[in-house]
Amino acid sequence: MAIQVPGKRFGKRLRRSRVFGKGKLNAKRVMTADLLITPMVDMFVIIVLFLIANFSATGDVLNITKDIRLPEAVNVKDIELVPVVMISNEQVLVSGTVIGRVEDLSREDYLNIPALEEKLRDMKKQYEDLHALANEESGKFKGDVNIQGDKDIQYKILKRVMYSCMTAGYNNINFATQTASAPKTGEQQASVRGL
Amino acid sequence: MAGGMGGAELGPSSSGKKKPLDTTINLVPFIDLMAVTISFLIMTAVWTQIGRLQVSSSGGPSDNPDDNDKTIPLTLLITDKELKLTAGTSTFDPIPVIRDAKGRIDLAKLQMRIKEVRTNLPEQAAITLQPEDNVRYEDLVRIIDECIGSGLPNVSVAAAIG
Repeated sequence: MAIQVPGKRFGKRLRRSRVFGKGKLNAKRVMTADLLITPMVDMFVIIVLFLIANFSATGDVLNITKDIRLPEAVNVKDIELVPVVMISNEQVLVSGTVIGRVEDLSREDYLNIPALEEKLRDMKKQYEDLHALANEESGKFKGDVNIQGDKDIQYKILKRVMYSCMTAGYNNINFATQTASAPKTGEQQASVRGL
Repeated sequence: MAGGMGGAELGPSSSGKKKPLDTTINLVPFIDLMAVTISFLIMTAVWTQIGRLQVSSSGGPSDNPDDNDKTIPLTLLITDKELKLTAGTSTFDPIPVIRDAKGRIDLAKLQMRIKEVRTNLPEQAAITLQPEDNVRYEDLVRIIDECIGSGLPNVSVAAAIG
């Protein structure tokens, strides 16, 4: 009997089989496969263009939390990096510091919130001291403040927060909103339908 | 692409040797750059678009004295039941608050009223909102948005009296 190479040896019938005969024994399997790079590069280009179109140089100005659901508005301006007063359904915060609970503040009949006023005054003083060293006009205190409130809070709380901001010197009050797309007018809807 | 674009030979050159006239572009660095750019853009992407509505806390008199005869004090009293627009000394009929399925106020009538006022007083740019204590923040924001959209950019918010 002749010496054979070690390995699987099928019988005559199986040797003629497509599976065992060609696939395993006789045929040489090509171990390399060409990848189609064109669709992948196309996809990459589309993703890059989409991401660049949506790129925001200012980044996240507001800290979005699940406790605060912002109301939607259409006619908005770009948000700026200024102190933020956050009002959720449970508490009022300034720059991460808890000022008080909404439930307690709702019970009081005062028009201002002393703790909020004090905190904002500190922040104003800090800002002015910092920019006094630079001695430039652009760094002048403008009194901008963003109010980031949950859409379900009542005006009773908002009124107190706004009054406190005003008293502390923050006169330019901005309501942070989620930007909504403008509703279509009747003419636009008709043109979409092809009428 | 990169591997598949073999050099097509366009006939023998003057020296007799076949010289390939096209070259294969190496796409690997390009794909690397794309991958890095996509990673960077995804990490720095801002998915929620946030804007701001600027308001002032009270509607003071106009700085320009010439505007006084062209504009009037426009006030909108907001309660949870109705919206009452007052233009100078005349008061419009109250607009009942109608909400849609999502609980949002229908502001079509208010928009029409503001347009009426703007037709008579094109220079009018200021309005003072007087919400009651139990008015929701979302309703207030929607009304401010509607006022700005209707051509009254100077929106002041003051507490309702009485």
